Amino acid sequence: MVVLFVKTINLKMIKSSSIALEFDNVLPELLYDKSLEDVKNTIIFHGNKKEAVSDYFDVNITGKSDIPDDCEIIIDGDLSRVKRIGYCMSSGKIVANGDVDFHVGACMSGGTIIVNGNAESYAGREMTGGVLRIKGNVKEFCGSSYAGDWRGMSGGKIIVEGNAGKQLAEYMVGGEIIVKGNCDILAGVHMAGGLISIDGTINQWVGGQMKKGTIIVNGKLEEMLPTFTLQEIVHNPLICGKYYIGKYELYSGDNGVKGVGSLWLKK
Amino acid sequence: MEYLLKNGIVFDPKNNIDGEQMDIFIKDGKIVENVSSDAKVLDVSGKLVMPGGVDLHSHIAGPKLSIGRLYRPEDIRRGIKPASQEDISGFEAGFSLPTCPTIGYRYTKMGYTTVTEAAVPPLEAKHAHEEINSIPNLDIPTLTLFGNNWFMLKYVKENRLDDLTYFISKWLKLAKGYGIKIVNPCGSEAWGWGKNVDGLDDPEPHWNVTGREVITALTKVNERLGLPHSVHVHTNDLGHPGNYTTTLETFDCIKDIKKNKNVERNQTMHCTHVQFHSYKGTSWRDVSSGATELIDYINKHNHLTCDIGQITFDETTTMTADAPMEYDLFRLTGLKWANKDIEVETSSGLIPSIYSKHAPVSVLQWAVGLEFFMGVTDPWKIALTTDSPNGGPFIRYPKIISWLMSQEKLQDMLNNEVHNWAVNRTNLGTYDREYTWNEIATITRASPAKILGLNDRGHLGMGAKADVSVYDIDVENFDPTLKNNSAILENKLLNSKYTIKDGEILVKDAKIVKLVKSNHIWCKVNGLEKEEEILTNRIKPEFNKYYTIKYENYGVNEHYIKPETCVDIEYGGVICENN
Repeated sequence: MVVLFVKTINLKMIKSSSIALEFDNVLPELLYDKSLEDVKNTIIFHGNKKEAVSDYFDVNITGKSDIPDDCEIIIDGDLSRVKRIGYCMSSGKIVANGDVDFHVGACMSGGTIIVNGNAESYAGREMTGGVLRIKGNVKEFCGSSYAGDWRGMSGGKIIVEGNAGKQLAEYMVGGEIIVKGNCDILAGVHMAGGLISIDGTINQWVGGQMKKGTIIVNGKLEEMLPTFTLQEIVHNPLICGKYYIGKYELYSGDNGVKGVGSLWLKK
Repeated sequence: MEYLLKNGIVFDPKNNIDGEQMDIFIKDGKIVENVSSDAKVLDVSGKLVMPGGVDLHSHIAGPKLSIGRLYRPEDIRRGIKPASQEDISGFEAGFSLPTCPTIGYRYTKMGYTTVTEAAVPPLEAKHAHEEINSIPNLDIPTLTLFGNNWFMLKYVKENRLDDLTYFISKWLKLAKGYGIKIVNPCGSEAWGWGKNVDGLDDPEPHWNVTGREVITALTKVNERLGLPHSVHVHTNDLGHPGNYTTTLETFDCIKDIKKNKNVERNQTMHCTHVQFHSYKGTSWRDVSSGATELIDYINKHNHLTCDIGQITFDETTTMTADAPMEYDLFRLTGLKWANKDIEVETSSGLIPSIYSKHAPVSVLQWAVGLEFFMGVTDPWKIALTTDSPNGGPFIRYPKIISWLMSQEKLQDMLNNEVHNWAVNRTNLGTYDREYTWNEIATITRASPAKILGLNDRGHLGMGAKADVSVYDIDVENFDPTLKNNSAILENKLLNSKYTIKDGEILVKDAKIVKLVKSNHIWCKVNGLEKEEEILTNRIKPEFNKYYTIKYENYGVNEHYIKPETCVDIEYGGVICENN
């Protein structure tokens, strides 16, 4: 599907900050029908102070849109202290050109976020829909749950083209995460649904205490948990509607919690 | 300050005022017969006017809530409302475990002025009273847990009823408690050995005392002392299929104990959240409702009252001093579970609980609760509670009222919304009762106040405390029996037009306009000082041996409970001869 973005809001950073800027008000669904002046005056928190977008960004708008889906926000500059980009976003598109801070795409329910750089921790936490594509690496807790909850990411798709940090997809209950690089420990722990596919090397403790869901390791797994049992060896398996080429071992577990999750391991 | 509430439609069941248009006069925090011409007139023509709400069983303060808040940060993230300029109240957060100020704001907005904290172990009483100091706008009596206390068990075992009387009297003073709460008598203590008791006659492993002995002894002591509230009992076997027989036995075991002659209440036992104690069957597969037998018993006997503990289909948190039951729930659901031992006194536990319209067991529990509302003919014997937050948070009371007032709504839920166990395994479908405003005023105001023995509230008679709630409901023209009006009714009851407490307007047009400190209500028995002192001196060595704190640091000091309302009781010796 080709989405033609008819309204583009360009934010170019003119002043960086050592204290984080909170970007949860800068969303397509809040800005699609706003004038240039309104966008400039949109409140962002700088520490505990309310400040305007124009204090830190040069704003340019081209085009006009009637629905949030037609709105695209492009953010340029040093975004390494810009938090909560696309937090709770439900439609439209955000492109961040640079490394971003915590909580990018957390709790999002729709739309697309593209990060052309690395992301800090908590990317896509508890997201329920939409697409989050990160061209660089992510740190800890990508696609997992916030503290306390036992329901993490429940829908949508996260694509990480670099490496992922610890506790990827903790408590995940649905949706899909694709990591093209390597992955640190504890991926998919407490998982209860959804799909994780990891192309690179992964350390240990994959799928600990998982109850349901699917994990596919296309690269190398350093150490398998003893609570998983080998079920069968399949050539070119069909997993969740997609063929994976090669010889795969299917493990089920985690038996420690009577789980019925499946872990596919490429041999 | 004087106020004149003009032309409201008043429901005051205690004084037999059933929807009359009349004026209410308020002066110096009391309801009076007339006020001077300077009085401020509040025009409430045609609006629903009731006494301030009284909740007789809720969990709003104490360490269990603090543990819950630490333990369920995801619950605190629900129901966040930022502070705003036009509302004097601040930031709100939390759903089943709201922050302390949020509890006060939400109860006041619903028109409630008195809320009972139903389970405070004496060891944690300081904490509970400190939390009450952070809750605004309410009058809060606390019920003190005695059902598994070692000293109590010892006196019951040795049949020393006199010593037990002095002990309870002294310990109520130490904990600044209002009444006696019994939770799973002997069962919570058996949890110290990893066990539970099975029914009323199963002895606790160490003391070899049964729940029956504990309940009868404490009821006798309660009537000897003449406390304003009766014993407040959470019976054994909560939430186990087949537990209705235990509940019936509990009802029956104290029926011969005579009521103290000086008290105004009718009951000698208040049985709390009966809904959780009314299941037939042997397992969760063949469970069905046992409410019919219990309703029958309640209708035929006058020595007990109950509150319901209605389920409201929410994701909530269960917290109780009945720790073995929480462990059973953990085994059932597998959700995160917290367990805490309160040394010498009780155990406690906490676990999230999800009641769904599609889960057969939740639906059965929901229907059993409503069966009690429908089946108990005398509304003075029941009170509306959800055992907040165990069955659902207290902000769901208006929703329950909307179910009770509309048979159309209830039938629609039974037929279209909920799992078929509600129809197949309970008798809820056979009732066609619809609550009137007068009955609603009874189960939320008059009856709980009477059961608690707080005679100055729950009604609008002369000299009563000026606790009044006014709702923006046009009683003449608004039809609560229509299904489509349920949501409107719920919303209006959640946001009162006026809430007046002690003659001060706290809520105006659903906005909190004034914050006052909560009042600690406790009960002091006079006339036993000498005996208490002798007993205390005897207890001290044992106390210092078993507790990790010293006796001197144990009691709640006076400065914790400002402002306070102390209910003074004169001990008159053994008033009922057979006790």
